[in-house]
Amino acid sequence: MSKKTTGNIAKGLATATCTLLGTAAAAPVSAEEQPEWEFDTALLFYGEDAGRVQDLSLNIFARRLFADERILSVGLAVDSLTGATPSGAVPQNEVQTFTRPSGESVYSVGSGELPLDDTFLDTRYALTAGWQQPLGRDYKASAGVSFSTEYDYTHIGTNFGLSRDFNKRNTTVSLGLALARDELDPVGGAPVPLSAMADVGMISGRDSSTSKDVADLLLGVTQVINERLLVQFNYSLSTASGYLNDPYKILSIVDPISGEAVGRTPAPGLEGPLHEYRFESRPDKRTKHSLFGQGKYWLGGKVLDLSYRFMTDDWGIDSHTLDTKLNLPMGETSYLEPHVRLYTQSEADFYRVSLLDGEAMPLFASADYRLGSFNAVTAGLKYGWQTGSGHDVAVRLEYYRQDGDIPSDQLTGNQDSASLYPGLNAVIFNISYGFGK
Amino acid sequence: MSARTAKRAFVVTFVMMLGTACTSMGVEPWERDVLAKDRMKLVTDSVEAGLDDHIYFSKEASSGGRGFGGGGCGCN
Amino acid sequence: MGSPCLVLSKAGRASAQKQLEVAAAEAWRIEAKYSRYLAGNIVHRINSADGAVVETDEETANLIDFSAALYRMSDRRFDITSGVLREVWRFDGSDRVPQEEEVRRVLQRVGWQKAVWKRPMLTLQRGMEVDFGGIGKEYAVDRAAALVAAECEAPCLLNFGGDIVAAGCATKDTAWRVGIESPGATSAVPCKRIELKRGGLATSGDSRRFLLKNGIRYSHLLNPLTGWPVLDAPRSVTVAADTCTQAGMLSTLAMLMGEDAENFLQQQSLRFWCIRQ
Repeated sequence: MSKKTTGNIAKGLATATCTLLGTAAAAPVSAEEQPEWEFDTALLFYGEDAGRVQDLSLNIFARRLFADERILSVGLAVDSLTGATPSGAVPQNEVQTFTRPSGESVYSVGSGELPLDDTFLDTRYALTAGWQQPLGRDYKASAGVSFSTEYDYTHIGTNFGLSRDFNKRNTTVSLGLALARDELDPVGGAPVPLSAMADVGMISGRDSSTSKDVADLLLGVTQVINERLLVQFNYSLSTASGYLNDPYKILSIVDPISGEAVGRTPAPGLEGPLHEYRFESRPDKRTKHSLFGQGKYWLGGKVLDLSYRFMTDDWGIDSHTLDTKLNLPMGETSYLEPHVRLYTQSEADFYRVSLLDGEAMPLFASADYRLGSFNAVTAGLKYGWQTGSGHDVAVRLEYYRQDGDIPSDQLTGNQDSASLYPGLNAVIFNISYGFGK
Repeated sequence: MSARTAKRAFVVTFVMMLGTACTSMGVEPWERDVLAKDRMKLVTDSVEAGLDDHIYFSKEASSGGRGFGGGGCGCN
Repeated sequence: MGSPCLVLSKAGRASAQKQLEVAAAEAWRIEAKYSRYLAGNIVHRINSADGAVVETDEETANLIDFSAALYRMSDRRFDITSGVLREVWRFDGSDRVPQEEEVRRVLQRVGWQKAVWKRPMLTLQRGMEVDFGGIGKEYAVDRAAALVAAECEAPCLLNFGGDIVAAGCATKDTAWRVGIESPGATSAVPCKRIELKRGGLATSGDSRRFLLKNGIRYSHLLNPLTGWPVLDAPRSVTVAADTCTQAGMLSTLAMLMGEDAENFLQQQSLRFWCIRQ
């Protein structure tokens, strides 16, 4: 065939085909090669009220699909943290002054105010990479690394996974292992546990950096129950050892009768705390067990997601998490998804609101509200749709609230539960954008 | 119920669940049309799940359960 | 059809059953009518007419009109009278390539220009035959798809031995995933995955039927003008078009273009996947 006559015959062919099949022009074809790359991006804003923590986070996650079901994934996250967080000291009816962790200056909080510390402010960068591939006929293996850094904290980790399908792929059993080494480089060094907060310029005897090792083991079973129901059960074991303290958290020392903070005078010529405070002390080992179950149920077009997790550890903390989402399609290309999460945890054995003046120092003590006893609720709504070019967009708005309760036997003198527990009110706003090419 | 009793009870329940999983419950390959939908995946948006895990890891004493947390951090 | 035919439907059980019955009935009807292996059908009557005039029915006349149009559009490369070449060419992977003389002799009985077609009357010269094998399956799957779509709106995929049509309208979430086999690969792992929501998909390839002699690979697609296979044809060509008939014709023609296959396909402004190895 001469090159000249090799024109576009598609049109002529289309007309001839219409005549042959006796139909009007057929709807245009829609056939696209499965994308090699899939991208998921998300922008998240997390904001607590009353001058507390705010976080702006940008995440990019990319997956490259190779032939034979091999997948490479890479993720990058940047978090910018601002605001302040409760330091563990209890509010008082007078001004309190604290030495900054750097030991170079002081800051004060007013009467009745919850003491907040802002040393953790920073920008955090995190990188993850993973590889997944089939192993033989029935097994799938994965391996990955993770890395994150902020000015006082570095994390490096690796993870492995192996899974096998049984029973016409109705049952999948998985095994996972993750190992991590975190290095902390706290401002001013790691304080000696339960040592007193010193005047400006008087810090001494501290390690400049410390570390902790974390190992996680996961065993899971995923099972198809019927055409509309899929469930998963996981057991995980996590052990952490090393420096588990929060170097910036403190406890107030209070009078055993009145419950008011014990005063102190800074050394002559120096600035320093006006009350007695001690740095917290946690054990150097922690073992956690978790049991997790999740079900996804198809309700004629809507999808119900229900999950429950029970966690217990050797610090005496037990927690229950109940999470549910309902995916409601709206038209052909969009959906609405309400979400509710209920959480409750019991306090750590060594959780203390404050220390008592004159009592023997306990071995471990922490006033970190995150180790206390509290209930939390998250309620939110997500709206997602598909753009004309097949990209996925979603917006999500959620409200997270923590309410703690301090058992009355932990209160001393005039201390009042309601004003002591920091509580938390936060808003979560998230925009996601996903596409493949 | 003490933590130890709770632990035991749940391990027993879990093993029982594992047992039921090994029966021939399930569907034929051609009955998977609903299960194959993206919305029926156990984790529909892994980036979002990771972000949430990170928030709750920073604000609560529990973490993971579904999988591993991505990594530690010094956030409060 | 000579190949396994598959109907995948997203309809409920009862509707899907109906869709399957409708598709199967149409496939069997067309097979019975146009198979060259069955005595008594229109193809048999035409091929045994021995030079006499044969009157064709509406459907056959349409197929012949279509073939005639394609004969012109493809510059005589698509020719339904080229079937007789199978008498000297047997593509069994061996090295039994026919002699020049044998091919020349058979070639005298090939050529649509030698037939007289005045709808609905067809006259072939003695010894000539028509073979609808080149368009039969694609035509059947498009016809079946139309009937299935009329029966039920749910998205439905018909796969008649590699000639595929997606009827109804699937969305991105429910698109059909079609894998293109790696030509020559022994495992069934696809080398390309295509998300098909609507339209036809057809593949032409020579990975199974070919002859190999002195290091030269003879594809089973014969050029009706020379009687010899096309050289330097791609291993496999897959085309996506509005209907499977269009897709099938274009993929066949592309293979017949040999080394110009990609250029030809580029000019048609359609999605195609061309594999050379």
